[in-house]
Amino acid sequence: MFPVFIATFKGVVRDRVLRGILATGLLFLALPQISSLSMRQVTELSITLSLGLFSFILLLLAVFLGATSLWKDFERRYTFSVMGLPLSRGAYLLGKYAGVAGFTLIAGMLLGVAVIAVVWITSSVHPSVRPVAWGNLALAMGFDVVKYLLLLGFAFFFSTVSTSFFLPVFGTIAVYMAGSVSQQVFDYLQTESGQLLPAVVRKASLALYYLLPNFGAFDLRLQAIYGLDLSPSGLLLTLAYAFIYLGILMAASVTIFRRRELL
Amino acid sequence: MRPVLLSFALLLTAYLGVIGPFTNYMAEKPMVEKLGYPPQPTVLRAISADQGPTAAAWLVMKVLFYYGDLVEAAQQEVYLSPDYVAIHRNLETAVQLDPYNMDAYYFAQAILVWDAGRADAVNEMLEHGMAYRTWDWYLPFFAGFNSAYFLKDYEKAAEYYKRAAELSGAPLFSQLAGRYLQEVGKTDLAIAYLTMLEKSARNEAVKNSFQIRIRAFREVKRIEVARDRYRKEKGVLPESVGILHQQGFLDTLPSDPYGGTFYLDGQGQVRSTSKFAFGSDKQKQ
Repeated sequence: MFPVFIATFKGVVRDRVLRGILATGLLFLALPQISSLSMRQVTELSITLSLGLFSFILLLLAVFLGATSLWKDFERRYTFSVMGLPLSRGAYLLGKYAGVAGFTLIAGMLLGVAVIAVVWITSSVHPSVRPVAWGNLALAMGFDVVKYLLLLGFAFFFSTVSTSFFLPVFGTIAVYMAGSVSQQVFDYLQTESGQLLPAVVRKASLALYYLLPNFGAFDLRLQAIYGLDLSPSGLLLTLAYAFIYLGILMAASVTIFRRRELL
Repeated sequence: MRPVLLSFALLLTAYLGVIGPFTNYMAEKPMVEKLGYPPQPTVLRAISADQGPTAAAWLVMKVLFYYGDLVEAAQQEVYLSPDYVAIHRNLETAVQLDPYNMDAYYFAQAILVWDAGRADAVNEMLEHGMAYRTWDWYLPFFAGFNSAYFLKDYEKAAEYYKRAAELSGAPLFSQLAGRYLQEVGKTDLAIAYLTMLEKSARNEAVKNSFQIRIRAFREVKRIEVARDRYRKEKGVLPESVGILHQQGFLDTLPSDPYGGTFYLDGQGQVRSTSKFAFGSDKQKQ
């Protein structure tokens, strides 16, 4: 598995993805200037915008790297060659995932440095009434990375069942959108008007709520922007949820990939 | 190669031909169109996925740029009527997406209250914000001002100022709270509230200012008691504070420590020309 991980990681670097991230990351340079337009919360706006950009770049990475990584190997018939090596399909898939996940993690760290630099510059020039909660900021970025590792799992899952990249790309985007609003839908179902919905719709929505990942749990942006309190037990529960969910997802992906006809 | 170059040159010429009129069209587009109609907050929240706070910041910025354009136009003596409904809608959507966004509350307070006369709607927004920005005394301070100055709801104003005082520890809000409690005839409550603050005040000047206000309100209370006795005996409201003194309902003529003169308004409410503030009789409202 380790050689696949290394090869995948090197492949992503060779594809100049890092340069693309750095080029997009140039947008961070404009953020202190844009944030200064705020009337009452310059530092808060800089955190809002930089975390927004951080998340957006990681989303692009998770969707496009995750959805095209296996597909490219199928297209170039690399997978067929690799299957001839003494390597199980499961190890190959997990190695590929680990390679892209490792790259996402490093990209997250580099972007994190950019976020901290932007917020530090802005808060030095325009100090906020409430001091910047650096710990919350770091946690918000960390949980964002975990969220995208989970999303990456979906991209790989869809890649194991599809021969083209359409399902992995659009399926991953759909999961991202649905997972981001699943908690809102759940909350709505608990309201009076939610109770008035037909039983079938309510049950189907509840089933989807438990089936889809709850990305709302990973969103600590407001806590980072406004220095709000975080619940340590809630965070630990979210991490446990993420890794168990990812484990199930990858187990399902490996099972499907083992049975898949690759020729 | 030549046909490609030719096509490219033709397209470039066409682009240059279109870009001028296109830019003019965009510049002449009505302002309202530029501000736009935001989707329902629930829809926008779903579309924006995890970018809710960014979407909120974008809405506030849009309003800010729109209003900036109007101000700029007004400086060039082009007076355009702002679309306050759209401004309000955008700001309200912004605080639904990010209930902590202070820029939205600040802009609503600065523009919608004064220019659009929407103090009640803005107070609703501020109430929404107070549920989230629990540390921020600005929101109850704004709401208190709106209640007292625009809505004439002095009881509510006192409530907001009291909250602002608790959050900020600033004596000004305590004074204002006391002042508006007095306005609604709750003089006893105002005296009790100020006496409590006076006891806990460490700064001598602040303590002194509380003492002056308490003195003034005690005088008000004395007049109110005399006024009520007069009404009970005569069946009508007294015409003036002087009559209360002349007819023995008041032992001595009350004196306002702020230098004003006490009088009774049409409803028999005790007022002072000082408005219970130093130098306020010299200022024009």
